Amino acid sequence: MTVRLRPPRHRVDPRARRWWTAQALLTVSGPALLTAVALLVLALLFFAGALPWLAPLILGVLVLPAVGYLVAMPRLRHAVHAWELGDAAVYAASGWCWHRRRIAPLSRVQTVDTVRGPVQRRYGLATVTVTTASTAGDIRIAGLSEADAEELSRRIGHAAQAVPGDAA
Amino acid sequence: MSTRTARPVTTTGWRRLDRRTLLVHCGWLGAPLGSFALAALATGGRIGAAGWVTLGCLAVTFAAITAAGLARWARTDYRLTADSLDLRTGLLTRRLRTVPLHRVRTVDLTAPPLHRLLGVTVLRAGTAGSGDSGGELALEALSVRDAELLRSALLDRAAVPAPGTEPLLARIDWRWLRYAPLTFWVLGGVLAVAGGAYRALDGMGIEPWRLPFVQRAFTEFGASALWLTVPAALLGILALGSLGALGQYVEGWWNYRLEWADSRTLSVRRGLFTTRAVTIERDRLRGVVLREPLLLRAGGGGYAKAVAGGLGNREDNRRRSALMPPAPRATAVRVAAGALRSAFPEPESARHPRAALRRRRTRALLCVTLPGTLTFAVLGALLTPVLLHCAWVYALTSTPVALWLARDAYRSLGHGLYGRQLVVRSGTLSRDTVVLERAAVAAWTFSSSPFGRRAGLVTLTAAVAAGEDGYRIPDLSATTAPAFAAAAAPGIVDEFLERTP
Repeated sequence: MTVRLRPPRHRVDPRARRWWTAQALLTVSGPALLTAVALLVLALLFFAGALPWLAPLILGVLVLPAVGYLVAMPRLRHAVHAWELGDAAVYAASGWCWHRRRIAPLSRVQTVDTVRGPVQRRYGLATVTVTTASTAGDIRIAGLSEADAEELSRRIGHAAQAVPGDAA
Repeated sequence: MSTRTARPVTTTGWRRLDRRTLLVHCGWLGAPLGSFALAALATGGRIGAAGWVTLGCLAVTFAAITAAGLARWARTDYRLTADSLDLRTGLLTRRLRTVPLHRVRTVDLTAPPLHRLLGVTVLRAGTAGSGDSGGELALEALSVRDAELLRSALLDRAAVPAPGTEPLLARIDWRWLRYAPLTFWVLGGVLAVAGGAYRALDGMGIEPWRLPFVQRAFTEFGASALWLTVPAALLGILALGSLGALGQYVEGWWNYRLEWADSRTLSVRRGLFTTRAVTIERDRLRGVVLREPLLLRAGGGGYAKAVAGGLGNREDNRRRSALMPPAPRATAVRVAAGALRSAFPEPESARHPRAALRRRRTRALLCVTLPGTLTFAVLGALLTPVLLHCAWVYALTSTPVALWLARDAYRSLGHGLYGRQLVVRSGTLSRDTVVLERAAVAAWTFSSSPFGRRAGLVTLTAAVAAGEDGYRIPDLSATTAPAFAAAAAPGIVDEFLERTP
């Protein structure tokens, strides 16, 4: 018989996939694709001779990774990201390539923050951050619906007060 | 050792910092003036326009800083009351900070050379949770007597000697000096000094490569028998580095003493030019790290560091957590045990799955062998066939080294539970044995990479509100990690575990 750490019960909001796609477009894929287009246009205008080797290079180095990231990252994240508030601890899973599961007992919780970024707000999402005295114990649950986030941060706050703690 | 009194020092009214603070403020002038003088010397007194501009800026800045320092000194005062230390600061916006005495965890007295010349010292009091939120309170210059009195008042506890333990844990033994050349400072020190000198010259508008004697030296070096002069130059650098390392060791650890000042506080004093005295409260001491960097380990040495809260930010923590200089391993283990007040547990090695070894081999080959070989091969294909030979020679020689490092890293891996303590060992370039109090674990993190998941490996991180915050147990078997986490610190992961037959 072995003991297994089961994944957290609750998935994040389905809208989070669209938010992650938007984020990918804004930070990684968008700039990479724009660079690729700019390079190709420049090559077409000024060094048409370089196209036979430049085009496959750009395709392999810029376009394919950018598109791959844009398609894969949100799906993988949505499959991994999850959270759960237990009787004595908060549990969250995150990541898409590297996975991370973190569990912090409520007795160690110091603060609970709810953050809504500009992009997140467009999709009606929020991030709940639970901090402990150790930076290696801080839990971030991203991609919750605003109602869920409010409810969760309220419940964590209540539970942390109910559990006798040693926050220091 | 200290002038510790049994009762708190009588409370004081509002007091200013020592007058000599103002002189200390002028200390920063030394470096720019010195480099200016050097520049004037090197150029034979011909100071260019840029030099004069620098000098002018210096004069203006000096006037401004002195004025600011004077104002700050006049508007800063502190007070010790029965239960708190109050600090009033601010020129226009007055700010009053009150630190309850029972929140003070560590006190650090540091006196850099200039402070020592003037007979003053800097007192920093770390409070609980002063990791990042700036909970630290610093008094920039107190006379040494005042600082000592204040420290004993801040940390005043019943001054009972620790029962059953020797209060003095270690003092400097100059035979340990032989370990100094086995530290990073041998090469790092030379590079740091060279970099610093270059920057200083560059700041004064001098390009060292243009100086005639530097150019002459380089042409002569290039024209000499390289097979003889290159090793000689390397030897010279090593010798210089060793000297530097010795100097650094002596400067850092002169008059070193580690002792339990009373049953609740551990105190470290050291330093030749800059003296430091760090006091760590026992309740904040969550464990120790025995560190054995590769070279030091080869020489049979190691050193111990404290894992304690309230030692300031990451860099402060690195400086203040040092419990001892590099010394024989047995001494390091004894010091660590003394700080823990229990036997130092050595973990069983290599209880980690074989996949961890394969992972280390791949990583070593990818990081050591591959980049060098590729560089040589590509350059060889482009430039000269000699480099192609270099490529295969490098591949052949570096592979065994990489594999040996991987094997060593695998054998270093180990973890276990011993009484109230959790022990973790890992690393080859620096083999670290971390002993943590199990009750101090504040959270668990399970992380895995794509390859690690396929191989059934997981890395467990214990979050602790002390030291480096997170301590990793790399590459555990994914099937045993949850049970280990549950056993090591009960009550955290338990409710999320699932038993499968």
